[in-house]
Amino acid sequence: MKPVKIAMMGMTHGHTRKYYQTLIENRKLDWVASCAADERAKEVYELYKTGVPCYLDPEKMLAEHPDIEAIVLASANEKHFEEMKFCAERGIHILSMKIPTFDMDEYDKMIEMVDKAGIVCQIELEMHYNPVVKRLQQEIASGKLGKLLSIQATNITLSPVWAFPWQGSPEASYGKRVPLAPGDKRFRGGALCDHPHIFDLIRWLTGSDYDTVFAQVAPNLRKELEVEDMIMAAGKLKDGTAFLFDPSWSRLEERLKVPAPGWEVFPKRMEVNLTITGEKGMIQCDCFGPNVYHNGAPNDRYTVQYTYFDEWVGLIDEFVDCIRNHKQPKINLKWHRQTIACMNACYTSVESGVPAKI
Amino acid sequence: MSEKMNQALAFLREKYGCPAGEIVNGNAGPELVLPDGKKIRLLPWRVERRFVELKKIIDGKTLEDVSTFRFASFSAGGDPVKTAARELDLAAYLADSPIRRIFAVRSGDAACNILARFANGMSASVECGSKLPAGADPMDRHEIIARRGVASDRTVDTQVPQSSIYEWTDKGLTTFTDVDTELFGLPNDQIWIVRAAFAVLMKAELGPVWNQAAADMEKYAAAIVKSDADNKPVTL
Repeated sequence: MKPVKIAMMGMTHGHTRKYYQTLIENRKLDWVASCAADERAKEVYELYKTGVPCYLDPEKMLAEHPDIEAIVLASANEKHFEEMKFCAERGIHILSMKIPTFDMDEYDKMIEMVDKAGIVCQIELEMHYNPVVKRLQQEIASGKLGKLLSIQATNITLSPVWAFPWQGSPEASYGKRVPLAPGDKRFRGGALCDHPHIFDLIRWLTGSDYDTVFAQVAPNLRKELEVEDMIMAAGKLKDGTAFLFDPSWSRLEERLKVPAPGWEVFPKRMEVNLTITGEKGMIQCDCFGPNVYHNGAPNDRYTVQYTYFDEWVGLIDEFVDCIRNHKQPKINLKWHRQTIACMNACYTSVESGVPAKI
Repeated sequence: MSEKMNQALAFLREKYGCPAGEIVNGNAGPELVLPDGKKIRLLPWRVERRFVELKKIIDGKTLEDVSTFRFASFSAGGDPVKTAARELDLAAYLADSPIRRIFAVRSGDAACNILARFANGMSASVECGSKLPAGADPMDRHEIIARRGVASDRTVDTQVPQSSIYEWTDKGLTTFTDVDTELFGLPNDQIWIVRAAFAVLMKAELGPVWNQAAADMEKYAAAIVKSDADNKPVTL
């Protein structure tokens, strides 16, 4: 199979660096160029010494590399629409970060553009390629648990805002400045916007969609932020499954400008755990554990060092397969729309104080 | 069962010189009957050592500016609504603030998910279920998240409670977690009931506080049922 000529754009998303190893090692890809959103993003990119040239102007990148077939849009949420338009107009396949946009009109235009251009647009929801999740899905599908009754899930992390400031900006993250609730000085665009995975996963595991959701914010752990960092949601799916999600930034961090060892204040920087109750039994699942542990440099602080990195490998494999074999990715814009709608409904519920219908 | 617990209570009363009282099984849970006939509802979780320590961590400002309580409790059978009401009492006790709002989603008698808000602005989530198979040990987790620090009764990067002793023999694995030297040999759930009774006998003013908390738990349970039925938060 001819390797896919691929590029990256933006380089300001928290997941940017996670692609480097896969893009370099995967023989089905030829990573030819990157295009940073600004000088600062270019400087950070160059710290990783990938050997792949980095531009500041996408037109110039394409002029130098006219054979680019696909682009990973590793940028702030507010940039996604214009970048998708840029790609769609040129027939370039897209790997989008996890939130294409929260503006549903804009979202529908994205679907239209991609359909019209006949390109692959895969959404980066890497949990689908996690081996623990794969096993979890098999166990549920086997019927051992019977009908699912309730799912509780965490997608909790440290806050990336100090390294990726756009994630603390209501406009850059949510797309506009919307107060969380009357009398609340905070705005939409925080932890919830960073954590769509569990909202997506439950649809995949149950085969059902959202009915209603109630969401509640708690006092922020980080006083400086103007977006929420502690939020929880509970509700029901259309098949009656009850759920409770915690997508908070509840793990504190050192305020590093570039992610590096010593980022954690709490020993474990990230957790995606699920508790699933079925008619015939229960499952507890840690999608990223067990791990290894140390209290070494730089802070001599007890730290969980992760051992799971398969997500990006599987994700890129699917992307290449879809491009070369003209397939629709599992997580495409149309599939993901319901997940984004539910996340928006969480904000609606926070604002109104009552459950929101999706 | 009560006989053994009352024997243990008698041992403590004699050792520490405190007034008389008898542990009985009440309709809603264990009670302490005083010589004058007054009944005190026992709240054993409030004397369980892990929760005593978590309370100290909060009250002593080891954690600063608590934001959120994340509690979970799963058992083999039982009523998740009652379990959730108990967990909410524990959260209110640790928060030192009454609960003002409860939103609940239930899945029949199998599971119950709750979001709650306290008068002091803190937030809580409680996850309860009853679908562990018969004979399985209860699974729970209590995590407190604050602006400065996180406290929990579970080790980081683990999902299940740890035991003090793991013994592998030709009969398989046996675990032990003994928690009380004075009451050694009594099952842990009974130890906390005896300790709760002892706490009330040693500190009489706890009686009305606990009876009020028990009455509040009834309100929490009613609010959980109502919130789920109406699909609306209930203000208390």
